[in-house]
Amino acid sequence: MRMDLKAFINHLPFSRIAFRPIIGSLLRQKYAMAMLVLQIAITLAVISNGLFIVSQRLDILQRPSGIDESNIFVLTSSGFTKDFNPKTSIQSDLAALRQMPNIINAVATYSFPFSGSSDWDELQTVAGSDQNTVPAASYKLDEHGIDALGVSLIAGENFSPSEVLWQTESNSTFPSVVLITSSLATDLFSTVDWSSVVGRTLYINATHSAVVKGIVKQLQAPWSPAGLIENSVIYPRVITRNSSRYLIRTQPTILQHTIATTERYLSMSNQQRMIRKVETIETMRQQVYGPDIAAVTILLVVMTALTIIAAMGIAGLTSFNVLMRHKQIGIRRALGANKIDILCQFFAENIIQTTCGIFIGCLLAVCLNIFLVSQYALPKLPLSYIISAIICLYILGILATLKPALQAMNISPAAATRSQ
Amino acid sequence: MFAYYFSLSLKSISRQKGLSVLIAATLGMGIAACMITYSLIHLMSKDPLPNKSDRIYHLQLDNWNLNSAAVLPDLPPEEVTWQDAINIVHAKQAKFQAAHTITWGMVTPSDKNVPPFLGIIRATQGEFFPMFEVPFLYGQGWQNYPLNQVEYVAVLSKATNQRVFGGVNSVGKTLPMLGQFFTVVGVLDEWQPSPKFFDMSFGAFYPPEDIYLPLQIKAELELPHGGNTNCWETDIGDEYQAFLNSECVNFNLWIELSSHQHKQQFENYLQGYVEQQKALGRFPKVTNNILLDINQWLAHKEVVGSDMYVFFYLALLFLLVCLFNAASLMSTKFTAKNSEVALRRALGANQLAIFTQCLTETIILGCIGALIGLVLYMFGLEGIKSLYPNFSAFVYLDIPLMLLTIGVSILSSVLAGLIPSIKVCMLAPAGYLK
Repeated sequence: MRMDLKAFINHLPFSRIAFRPIIGSLLRQKYAMAMLVLQIAITLAVISNGLFIVSQRLDILQRPSGIDESNIFVLTSSGFTKDFNPKTSIQSDLAALRQMPNIINAVATYSFPFSGSSDWDELQTVAGSDQNTVPAASYKLDEHGIDALGVSLIAGENFSPSEVLWQTESNSTFPSVVLITSSLATDLFSTVDWSSVVGRTLYINATHSAVVKGIVKQLQAPWSPAGLIENSVIYPRVITRNSSRYLIRTQPTILQHTIATTERYLSMSNQQRMIRKVETIETMRQQVYGPDIAAVTILLVVMTALTIIAAMGIAGLTSFNVLMRHKQIGIRRALGANKIDILCQFFAENIIQTTCGIFIGCLLAVCLNIFLVSQYALPKLPLSYIISAIICLYILGILATLKPALQAMNISPAAATRSQ
Repeated sequence: MFAYYFSLSLKSISRQKGLSVLIAATLGMGIAACMITYSLIHLMSKDPLPNKSDRIYHLQLDNWNLNSAAVLPDLPPEEVTWQDAINIVHAKQAKFQAAHTITWGMVTPSDKNVPPFLGIIRATQGEFFPMFEVPFLYGQGWQNYPLNQVEYVAVLSKATNQRVFGGVNSVGKTLPMLGQFFTVVGVLDEWQPSPKFFDMSFGAFYPPEDIYLPLQIKAELELPHGGNTNCWETDIGDEYQAFLNSECVNFNLWIELSSHQHKQQFENYLQGYVEQQKALGRFPKVTNNILLDINQWLAHKEVVGSDMYVFFYLALLFLLVCLFNAASLMSTKFTAKNSEVALRRALGANQLAIFTQCLTETIILGCIGALIGLVLYMFGLEGIKSLYPNFSAFVYLDIPLMLLTIGVSILSSVLAGLIPSIKVCMLAPAGYLK
């Protein structure tokens, strides 16, 4: 039985690999080997760190803002005559827009996700300058606001029309009720039972108090100075200025058509103002996330080019070896080695080279990451990215070796008799 | 002798065309990647006023609340209050001084064929123009007005002059805007400083404003507060004047000193000013005046994002891989002509001659690599323009950078070919002659 097993193992292709001569032949070409191992090592370091940065950026790009992004556009109405009345203009515009069949709802607001500007307020559950504060981006919306943005209320109620304050820029009267996002509710009240938060009081900038009237599931801040993008508070206020910005949510799939008709309607309905800065949320999102998209693109291009270069390096060296060992392979074949043995010899060589590269590469990857962490505040590289990069490199090595190894396999034993 | 090496190298390169192109392309790719990422850093961190950037200072004073910080961890705000802007500018302690901020308002040209538009305005003191060497096409700016005295004058950007007056010399003409009549005193030439160091509240590569007005007009006409506005007092009141009297910061304050020697003197003045204000009950925090010259300010504001440096370091590693790759390819290339080298050695060529010949060959390969690199670099820059649309106006082919590319390419090629060349000339000819 034992003998049988040994015979069986002897018939497995890899069992017949003689490692000593392989290592010997690799050591004979120290320089080429060193160059290849270093290429693999650096490739591993760059790919593992690069993939990690790319995946982080993709996380940012994929995170939802909470609003109905694909069906919303914004425009600015700027009055320019002396007798232009911003308040009546906003009221009549919004009333007319809300009547239009293509439009789900509209609201006047200067801030919305991707708009890039808003106030940040410090919120507290207990008033006093020595108490903990939670920063939150503030939105000023009327009772149509959450419908126009397309955010969903998960507890409590929306504002009633009578609660909405119409104010000029300098008026600092504070409303008595607010809506907050679920993330902010958790940060403030340390609970996920949303209905328990409704009706509780919070303090704004240590001076004003307001009651939480409702919780919206998600509404990202217009900009995020400190990574607190999910913390938003909505005040029932409309600020009237000569220039006001309308946010308009259309029925699905007719956004472009509605933009044209709305723009035409607004320009004709009141000649004392002009309509400008018509933009969709999608394009604003593109601008906000532009640097992240650029980073992902640049890193992917660099990593792809690197992979191609490394694969070329492996393939080039292997073909050169096949060429140089033409006669040697013929002799091995003539002495009884079968085609699989020859194939395995080259794969074994490749795996040994890749493994050496990976040992150095893991070290390099960690060093590169430590450098990036200390210089550019990047997070620590998780082990899983190194492991994925290692698997990629083994596959890459095998693929790059495949063609020259197949050529070697087909060298006829008669080559042994020919002189080189 | 060199001509002989050169023709031999060309022969050798053309004999192994595929391999030679591969070596040059590998080098070219690595160099292009490095140069593209380096040019991003280089173009973004360019000195906007190279002849005097070290004498122009951005001023910060810490007028913040005792228990909080305007900018974390404990830095003063980046803008100053109206009171400080006015006091320091009118004290005239520097060669030039100007406080400025961004605002906007409706421009209503008298020509009925020109539709009214919302003009983006920089409200500033007149010394803004000579301090930042703003180029004028027609006319000039205005002098800093004395306190409580101002004229309704305006300087237009070239594009605004084109829009309102069709590009003619409009100096002396009247421009109705903000419900008033302004006299045009100057028209700027093309001016797009990059980075827009004097006010980066809308980003470092944001275009400059349409119209320039004296700062006092902002207060007189109660124009809106643009750019960054930051307050720590609660409930400052509803009046416009209350904002101007408050501790709210909104104004960028810059000065130009006539020489470095004056810096200490100016710092002493500023120290004295803050102490005097402390006596009046302002500036509750420890005095923390910060003067940064233009380049220090750009570095502090991290105009070149950390992404750019990460790209550059990864591209450097990429170049290293390309170098190792080219080195092993060259080793192959030179090994293939071992017998030729052996023959030349046997006929009397010494090791130095063989080495020089190999070196010539690597330099030629480096030049081809540089060409390929430059082509890739140009494509890469187009890619950069589409990836960073805000920055695209500032991307151009920099001649010194192109020369650097060629130099780096040749150097890389020589580095990659060095050890293979040495190996070739060390080899004993006898074995190959049999």
